[in-house]
Amino acid sequence: MLAFALRRLLVSVPILIVSTFVVFVMVSLSANPLSNLIARNPPPPPQTIAAERHRLHLDQPLMERYWNWITGIFRGDFGPSVNSTTDIGSEVISRFGVTFRLIFLAMVIALILAIVVGAVSAVKQYSKLDYTATFFGFLFLSMPSFWLAVLLKQAGISINTSVGDQVFYTIGASSIYVQGGFWAHLTDVLGHMILPTISLALISYASWSRFQRASMLEVLNSDYVRLARAKGLSRGVVMRRHALRNALIPLTTVTALDLASIISGAVVTEKVFQWQGAGTFLLDAIAQSDVYAVEAWLLISATFVILFNLVADLLYGVLDPRIRHA
Amino acid sequence: MLGKTKLRRARIGALAATAALVLAACGGGGGDNSGVQTGQAFAECDSNVNACNSAAADQLQDGGDVTFAIEKNIPNWNVTSSEGNVFETGMVTKGILPYTFYTTPNLEPTLNTDFMESAEITSTNPQTVVYKINPKAVWSDGTPISADDFIYNWKVQNGRDCPDCAPASTGGYDVVDSVVGSDNGKTVTVTFSSPFTDWKVLWSSTGAMYPAHLAAQHGDQNTPAGLAESYKWFGETLPTWTGGPWKIDNFQNNVSITMVPNPSWWGAKPKLSRVIFRIITDASQEPTALQNNEVQVIYPQPQVDLVNQVRNIPNVSSYIGLGLTWEHYDFNLKNPALANKALRQALYTAVDVQGVINKTVGQFTDKVKPLMNHNFVPGQEGYKDVISSTGQGTGDINKAKQILTNAGYKLQGEQLIDPNGAPVPTLRMRYTVGNQIRQNECELFQQAASQLGVKVDIIPTDDLGDTTSNGDFDIIVFAWVNSPYPYSGAIQLWNSQSESNYGKYVNPEVDNLIAQANGETDQTKAADLLNQANQIMADDAYVLPLYQKPTFIAAYDNIANIRNNSTLDGPVYNMQDWGIRKG
Repeated sequence: MLAFALRRLLVSVPILIVSTFVVFVMVSLSANPLSNLIARNPPPPPQTIAAERHRLHLDQPLMERYWNWITGIFRGDFGPSVNSTTDIGSEVISRFGVTFRLIFLAMVIALILAIVVGAVSAVKQYSKLDYTATFFGFLFLSMPSFWLAVLLKQAGISINTSVGDQVFYTIGASSIYVQGGFWAHLTDVLGHMILPTISLALISYASWSRFQRASMLEVLNSDYVRLARAKGLSRGVVMRRHALRNALIPLTTVTALDLASIISGAVVTEKVFQWQGAGTFLLDAIAQSDVYAVEAWLLISATFVILFNLVADLLYGVLDPRIRHA
Repeated sequence: MLGKTKLRRARIGALAATAALVLAACGGGGGDNSGVQTGQAFAECDSNVNACNSAAADQLQDGGDVTFAIEKNIPNWNVTSSEGNVFETGMVTKGILPYTFYTTPNLEPTLNTDFMESAEITSTNPQTVVYKINPKAVWSDGTPISADDFIYNWKVQNGRDCPDCAPASTGGYDVVDSVVGSDNGKTVTVTFSSPFTDWKVLWSSTGAMYPAHLAAQHGDQNTPAGLAESYKWFGETLPTWTGGPWKIDNFQNNVSITMVPNPSWWGAKPKLSRVIFRIITDASQEPTALQNNEVQVIYPQPQVDLVNQVRNIPNVSSYIGLGLTWEHYDFNLKNPALANKALRQALYTAVDVQGVINKTVGQFTDKVKPLMNHNFVPGQEGYKDVISSTGQGTGDINKAKQILTNAGYKLQGEQLIDPNGAPVPTLRMRYTVGNQIRQNECELFQQAASQLGVKVDIIPTDDLGDTTSNGDFDIIVFAWVNSPYPYSGAIQLWNSQSESNYGKYVNPEVDNLIAQANGETDQTKAADLLNQANQIMADDAYVLPLYQKPTFIAAYDNIANIRNNSTLDGPVYNMQDWGIRKG
């Protein structure tokens, strides 16, 4: 298993390098990091623009810039930002920290909901409960995440108004100043987390629950489940040990593959709720044509996606011993 | 066991919260239009722009927080540098930097009497200005604010003493010959090498002063390298020092900046305990933050939905003002087809500016009127209509056709043919991608041009700076920020040699008149000279002004003394006067 994991990691390295190169070339050719500076009113003196061009290495050939960047990463240098005071490395890492706080909780909630609702829907196929779950599943699937987030905000404000207290917050990960001790701070953080987490979780939940339902139905109709029941095993044992366990394997794949789309979903959620995470970092970097910042974002997010897929592969072995021994 | 209980509770909690929120969302709130505008705080602002929403200090409570939404982070603290010269940084540093003049809501440069006792021209040949600094004015460490600060800020911005300083502009400082202190540094005598009409812009609120004694600790002030080091240090370092009524108490990168009153402040003490600048980079999220009382003041670019949303929030007042930023169409005269003045005149005549306003910003305010000058806006001394006489912006298609006919153009079917018999080529019109208002402005221009037989392709750009500086357009729509100091601005925008003259307009007579205006210390004569230049430029049909861009402020009614200021000073120009009304 260890050899398998190492092999997978090694194969990922050239993929990463090629993707950073492609993005570097595309962003560099399509955007000018000096454009925001040039568009200033009043425009800066020519010597200022020349100095910035030099600082951002724009006076070097494209290949040289890329080479310097990729080798610099091994020294912890992610290249100069268009904001000269910003250290891209520490900034992007702290931003991903914020995003993963959001994503982790949202994924856990979405997975638990999806597994429970998907399994129950499958077991009670065509029941009222199944129809209700199906309705909400498709509702959340069809809702643009931006719109869902805005609706949740309005709902939160309505609840605040009706209870006459600040329960939900619409911007940021916490208040700037909180009166009180530990519990006041915890309540404040939770008040800020609930809406964005639900917003992000519901989008993933919608597709995962449908997937889990279909997967569960397939397993329930399989020969080995029927055999297990025929042998006299109780329904609960068959469900837990055989059906659910096997039905989780496809969901594991989907969850791993969905990480990239969850990160992009987080871009929208972060923007609407003004969390200063990786998503807003990327949007700002693109808006400012901050090539090295875009590259750093890509490198880190791609690394996480690759690692997550690896974890999913390893989980197969846990869920299905046949894979472990293969 | 505890873990399981917690998990179960969390699960139940999550489900309950989801159900409650979905039900609440379905129950309305978002689509409710029955709310009424209850705020009246800005009711007087149209008639009394400088003093509306005011309350005396004894009507205000001691303490209280006000949170003001800004739309950008502060990555560079040196507002005079090219990198730090951003509106948000200007607003955040307004309370900590000393400055000579600021601009009041009626767009007039006004002496900052907390800092200056006087600032007057004492000689016109050579032009000499004598500044007298308030004797009580000190930096927060007790160092007196003095001529040394004037000298340092002049040296780093004049382009000569510190070539590597990268200031936002050298305009004005480059014609200062000497800055000399006397009277223990509390009197400053500034001598100019050539007359400079806009002398009030120097050391003013748009490029306020940094402390020379701290600069000296971060670089040898007698060398260009030392000056550059200290200048850079001010950009990189969060100011813990102050020379204004406020000081920065806390900065959370990308999140907020908190100001508290400066204990060393020699003027009237602010009533508020804190002003918190909360960074909300997506303006469309500001109304909900306001509605949820997470911020109490917002100052976004107005859009129809945003304005309507804010008008429905109880206990919040909002106001639309008109400022110095103005929208305009520009031609690129490097395009051979547009080198012919008659075609330019005809196209601008065919455009209905009032119609453009009605279909864009007119949807949320009826205040906006066609702008008739390129250098002054209504309300500024010197504003004169130079457009009406040209007929441009009237939407008069027949007159436009007549101009073309007189110049030898012919319409063949739906194609305009130039006097040489060649079809007028399709023109490329640019605007910033995602800006719906500008897209509409392009489409309206396109419709007007099509009636003259001129085809216009609309191509958005995601890089306005590159597009303008490379001249990658035939026609473009964007905005300029007029200055309360219009003369040096005119040189920058219209002079034949200027880098910012993106459409490459060349008229030596205009250059000459603008240069004369810029060196005339008599304001009336200066305005007259600038308007003469402007009239020629308007007749040349190079740039067609559309309108002053509206600004939009919304604040809770209980905040007194806050009001709109559509200049680069913004609503924070009097932040030390803000307070919460008693009761």
